Amino acid sequence: MTADALDPLIHVPARLRILVTLAALNDGDTLSFTRLQNMLDLTPGNLITHLRKLEDADYLSTQKTGNGVASLTSVTLTHRGRAALDSYTKALRDLLAGI
Amino acid sequence: MNGSHDTDETGTIDEGGELDPRQAAALVEQTTIQARRQFAPPPLGAVLGAGVFFFGYGAVWWSMRDQHVYSGPAGWAIAFLYLLIVASALVSRRFLARATTGVGGRARRQMAGMGAAVAAAGIGAWVVQGALRYLGVSFKIVYGVYGPTVPLIALAAAAAGFAAAQEKWPELGLAIAIIAIASTSTFFGPLGAWGLTGLGCGIALLVYAAVLTVWLRRPPSVQR
Repeated sequence: MTADALDPLIHVPARLRILVTLAALNDGDTLSFTRLQNMLDLTPGNLITHLRKLEDADYLSTQKTGNGVASLTSVTLTHRGRAALDSYTKALRDLLAGI
Repeated sequence: MNGSHDTDETGTIDEGGELDPRQAAALVEQTTIQARRQFAPPPLGAVLGAGVFFFGYGAVWWSMRDQHVYSGPAGWAIAFLYLLIVASALVSRRFLARATTGVGGRARRQMAGMGAAVAAAGIGAWVVQGALRYLGVSFKIVYGVYGPTVPLIALAAAAAGFAAAQEKWPELGLAIAIIAIASTSTFFGPLGAWGLTGLGCGIALLVYAAVLTVWLRRPPSVQR
């Protein structure tokens, strides 16, 4: 097995940390954008860009409530995202076992 | 949710450089441990709970230890027990609020449901306690044996149901241990009910705190 087996969308430090953090929550739980940003210590712009890439792949979904300054965004891992992370860690384990 | 940021701003992406498999595995482990610590209430909450049983229940037991004929615990002991319960509840609530800040969805709904179930179980048990006294059951049984054990068993039973439904095995084990200890202690009269329940539940909470500490530090098995 080679590193090509690792999902390239997940195999990026920031996106890997986003998915692993969300996977620590129970299935169906959401996390506010602010708390996620504080936990990962990313800039808002950087986090948004990574979230959009993951959302485009249906690995997570975002919900926005309210308007303007008072708007709140929350993020949740989808079943597809959890499965993709499980496959990624399994591939990583297999890869490391072969080294 | 406690978010305050709008996500309309656009950003430039920082991919963060190349990751080799070992670095990726280390990142998964490190991030998992950090996330668990952030989302779980700290084991210190369980240690505080153990303190309530050791010192609160212990104080009541201490105030009754020389009674040959049951006359009830001293007022200071009951006041001390309630003081510890209130202080512990306030600190635990603070820990829980910190852990769940920004977490929403199913977790919030489940927590509200669990709160309602536990409150109903506790209130039901206390109402029965009042009814038993009203029906003429002795102080020794109502306040000496039933009081320190049955409401606790009811609260633990409600919590056990939720722990099982969420597959939270350490919490389920703790709730079952509390039920077993409190119910067994009723065979030993008021002194046993207060003393054994205090000692046993305090130890059970310390064991739970130790299990939680190990779990929070244990990395997921990516590199093994």
